[in-house]
Order: sequence, then C-alpha cells, then structure tokens
Amino acid sequence: MRIALRQVLAILLLALLPAAATGMWHPRRPAWQSDEVTLPAATAWGRDVLWIDARSDADFARGHIPGAASLNEDHWDERLPGVLDHWDTTRKIVVYCSSLSCQTSHDVARRLRDEASLPNVFVLQGGWEAWLKRTP
Amino acid sequence: MSRASQRIVAALIGLLFMVTGVLKLRDPAAFAIDIQNYRLLPWTWDVIVALYLPWLEIVCSGALLLRIGYRGALAICALLLAGFIGAYGSTRPRGLDIACGCFGHGIHRGYWPVVLGDTLLLAVVIWLLRADFRPLSPVIQSNGDVKETP
Repeated sequence: MRIALRQVLAILLLALLPAAATGMWHPRRPAWQSDEVTLPAATAWGRDVLWIDARSDADFARGHIPGAASLNEDHWDERLPGVLDHWDTTRKIVVYCSSLSCQTSHDVARRLRDEASLPNVFVLQGGWEAWLKRTP
Repeated sequence: MSRASQRIVAALIGLLFMVTGVLKLRDPAAFAIDIQNYRLLPWTWDVIVALYLPWLEIVCSGALLLRIGYRGALAICALLLAGFIGAYGSTRPRGLDIACGCFGHGIHRGYWPVVLGDTLLLAVVIWLLRADFRPLSPVIQSNGDVKETP
C-alpha cells in the first residue's frame, strides 16, 4: 500500500511541470479571466453592448434580444461583415445562445476574438433563457 | 484471468488514457470551457483542471504502458473515473445537457453512454488493481523447488 501511495505521489508531481509549461506557452492556453458576463452586468453597459445571437436562424426568428445581430457558424462569412459594420472600439460584444449549457456562444466568441481580432468579447451566462427569466 | 490478459487490458486502458489526454491537450482553452459547462468550479479552477488533467492522464498512461508505477497509475485512473462519473452524472439532475469533454471539445456522446461506459471502465480498473494486490500462490515443483505463480 505504501508503495502504491508513493507511486501516486510521484505521478501527481510528474504531471505538474508539463501542466505549468502548457499554461505558460501553449498557443491555445485558456485565459485566467472568464469571458462570461451575467445579464445584469451586461445590461448595465447599456448602449455600449453589441448583442450577438449565436443560435440557429429558426431560433433567432422566434425571438431574440432587441437589437441583437444573428451570427452563427452556418452563416459566418456572409454575416460577419455586417456585424463588424455595427461595431466600434467603444462597444462590448456579448454573445449568447440558448442556455447555460449551450456551447455555440463560446465558439462564436472565440472566433470573433481569434479571427476578427475583436477585443472585449463576452459570453452571456445563461443565454437566451436568462433573458427570458429576467425581471423587467 | 491470466497475468498476460491483465497486462493486455491494462495496456489498452493506458492507450485510452493517452488518447484522451492528447486530445484534450490540443485545445486547453476549449477544454476549460467544457469543464466550465459542468458548473461545479469557479473559472480559475476550471483552468487549473484543464491544464493539469490531460498531463495526469498522459503520465498515468505511460505508467501503465511501461509498467512503472503501475499500481499508483491504476489508483489514479480509478479516482479520475469515479470523480468524472460523479461530476458528469450530476449534470442531468441539474438540468444540464453538455458534452463530457472526454475526447475533445464539442463531442457529445450522450448522457447514458458516457455514464455507463465509464462505470464499466472503472469496474475494469478496480478489478486490475485488486488482481495486482493479490498475493502470488506458491507451487512446489517436481524437483522440490518452490515457484510462485499467480
């Protein structure tokens, strides 16, 4: 049992160094600050927010945050120029999809940062569901 | 089951953990988001786990394949699997429908295949661990020598 415990400790320690190196040098290392923003915080930004709806066209047509632009991965190339036309350096971009567990808002946000080199891109925590549940 | 069979099974598990570790390492930022989707940890810990876990899997897989630190690697694999089953198992009761992040970003295998498949894998790992702790049985050979066999 003692041998097994020593082996466990050795393995745990051995994995630490490459993990630290990954955190420092990996080109796709995660940022230490989360890009999620709550709905109250995002709405407090007022007109400085450019809302981006990452859901499907059908979901967007059924309802969306007022003023939001639809930008999903299916229509990325054709819609990105239109989004950029509405953006300027004073605006924060908040991307949302359907719910807390939805992934596409993170993917769209990442593409906006990496491909379009846009700063101040956030993801709405809770997505469209959070908007529907908001108290007026 | 013979020691040879146990070695083959352990090697296969080692290969599996190598694959999952390497796939996660391709994009730690995306893996951090996968972990965030579990809604169990603050973001800083999501990042720490995203950086550390793939390397823990890779080191464990190396230990299993090379049979250096074998028992320790099996113990860690068992703990990782048990922790993961608990974490992923809790997502559906909490109303979350997420990809597990096991084989890289965005691959959604479905809730029950993940839970049941990993529970089976955990059972195999525990069986290997118990088999390795089992003492060897002595056998007296025809020339009177004592030989230890599993």
